[in-house]
Amino acid sequence: MLASTSLNVGSLGGLVLNAPTHYSHKSLLFPATKSLPLLTFPTKLSGTTAWKSATSVKTAVAAVDSSDPTEKEQEQTEKKRYYFVVANAKFMLDEEEHFKELLFERLRNYEERNIEQDFWLVIEPKFLDKFPNTTKRLKRPAVALVSTNGTWITYMKLRLDRVLQESYEADSIEEALASNPVDLAFEKPEKWTAPYSKYEFGWWESFLPSKTSKV
Amino acid sequence: MAAEMALVKPISKFSSTIPRIGNSRLPCTRIFSIKMSSTTQSQPATVAKKKKGGKKEINESLLTPRFYTTDFDEMEQLFNTEINKNLNMAEFEALLQEFKTDFNQTHFVRNKEFKEAADKMEGPLRQIFVEFLERSCTAEFSGFLLYKELGRRLKKTNPIVAEIFSLMSRDEARHAGFLNKGLSDFNLALDLGFLTKARKYTFFKPKFIFYATYLSEKIGYWRYITIYRHLKENPDYQCYPIFKYFENWCQDENRHGDFFSALMKAQPQFLNDWKAKLWSRFFCLSVYVTMYLNDCQRTDFYEGIGLNTKEFDMHVIIETNRTTARIFPAVPDVENPEFKRKLDRMVEINQQLLAVGQTQDIPLVKNLKRIPLISALASELLAAYLMKPIESGSVDLAEFEPQLVY
Repeated sequence: MLASTSLNVGSLGGLVLNAPTHYSHKSLLFPATKSLPLLTFPTKLSGTTAWKSATSVKTAVAAVDSSDPTEKEQEQTEKKRYYFVVANAKFMLDEEEHFKELLFERLRNYEERNIEQDFWLVIEPKFLDKFPNTTKRLKRPAVALVSTNGTWITYMKLRLDRVLQESYEADSIEEALASNPVDLAFEKPEKWTAPYSKYEFGWWESFLPSKTSKV
Repeated sequence: MAAEMALVKPISKFSSTIPRIGNSRLPCTRIFSIKMSSTTQSQPATVAKKKKGGKKEINESLLTPRFYTTDFDEMEQLFNTEINKNLNMAEFEALLQEFKTDFNQTHFVRNKEFKEAADKMEGPLRQIFVEFLERSCTAEFSGFLLYKELGRRLKKTNPIVAEIFSLMSRDEARHAGFLNKGLSDFNLALDLGFLTKARKYTFFKPKFIFYATYLSEKIGYWRYITIYRHLKENPDYQCYPIFKYFENWCQDENRHGDFFSALMKAQPQFLNDWKAKLWSRFFCLSVYVTMYLNDCQRTDFYEGIGLNTKEFDMHVIIETNRTTARIFPAVPDVENPEFKRKLDRMVEINQQLLAVGQTQDIPLVKNLKRIPLISALASELLAAYLMKPIESGSVDLAEFEPQLVY
């Protein structure tokens, strides 16, 4: 570690200054002791506890007795598991611009490969009522990213980090993605110093359930 | 693009450092003795562009981003699922699915605009672009080599992590190849096989590979997306079509960064003590300062594409820092105006240092003149390092999580 420490410092110094120098404050900056092997990590990682299986999730359940074949076909319900990450709307739709890029990238990929869309943005979702522990930590209005692909939601949790992750079952997609009406408005950022303008308000509309053909 | 793990050399694909510090950074002093070769030909046609270009000269002219290597045995230990039975694999499995999807499989397809744009470029702008392509290609290629080797070495002990490394090396190879084809527009090509053998490798322990590579990937994302979005709104500055590919391209960089996040979260001892905080701040500062100083020496490039170099850099630094605060346990307070003031003072001192190098003085006199400047720079750096940091980290690990409102 010491060796690489001086390497770093020396190289930076060399880079910037062209001088074979070691800063006198090195010991201040770089503790040279090894990590204690006893300092191990916490075994519980919150946010991943809801996670059960890494593989995909479709669970179709025939809910009715199959005595009458026509009736069976009609009343067969498909109970699916939906996975989501949720946070306040400002975070999800206004601040995290890379989130918009990821969603459009995924949509493009689905279109290129003719894959049916399996992810949606739900503004103020009704299913949140089932999660009092989540909602009490949530600023409102809230926005959830919902998908039947739980593995992907785990990835999105890794990317977004400041989101809560859960899952639920629903009988139909309409039930799964139902939302309460709410008007969104985001204050303009105090100072916008980027050499480009923000993504347009409303970019998320193509991901709302009402806009997708299947719902 | 593990390539530009700052500290040492360039930080991001465009920013490149001075191969020999103290003398001019301008391309005009450099001899482009890039070896001509074509990756498509079976015979490596290695003809130096300048006829005098012997091996030594080639090495010098290619001395741009560094190549990295690490302690592969320690890496094997860290991610051995037999030894670490509690290793949280869910995030790796999720990442593997993303990398397997291969979003940019068909993205890197060239068209005739490239050659046409290159032919139109003349004089200094042409040289700036050649330099940019060359360094970027080397940087991507260096990432390819490191990830490829990690993919190979971890195959037995952790096939999932190994496969992700291999898929990331796929991305890097694709990026490097695309940039190398860009060089062909300027009738040049990097001989990557030769580079692999001829370049020196810099060693970093795994812990430092994680910090440095994470930052390198995330800062790469922010640089690319910023340039892309700026040029989309200001198409007049779009002087070479490669920038049009940046939007999709930089999503790869961002995902690579996510993978290093997951690697660190799986090894929380690299994130959860006071030493981790000191190292985190050190790596952030080194990466930001290196980029700022480098880019401020290459304002021609940024102004050439319509950007204000310092504003561009500050934007990238602030955004990268916000992103990094999702995983590093502490980050510098780069949004404090004092931070930028310190950076600007460092730029001034660095310019004085460069000026000393360009004088006709004998080496001893030069070195004497450098001493006060070096100490001034060192104290600015130290002062920046000691500025009150921001406590940060992933909510999966951070102590402040229970107070957080989502």
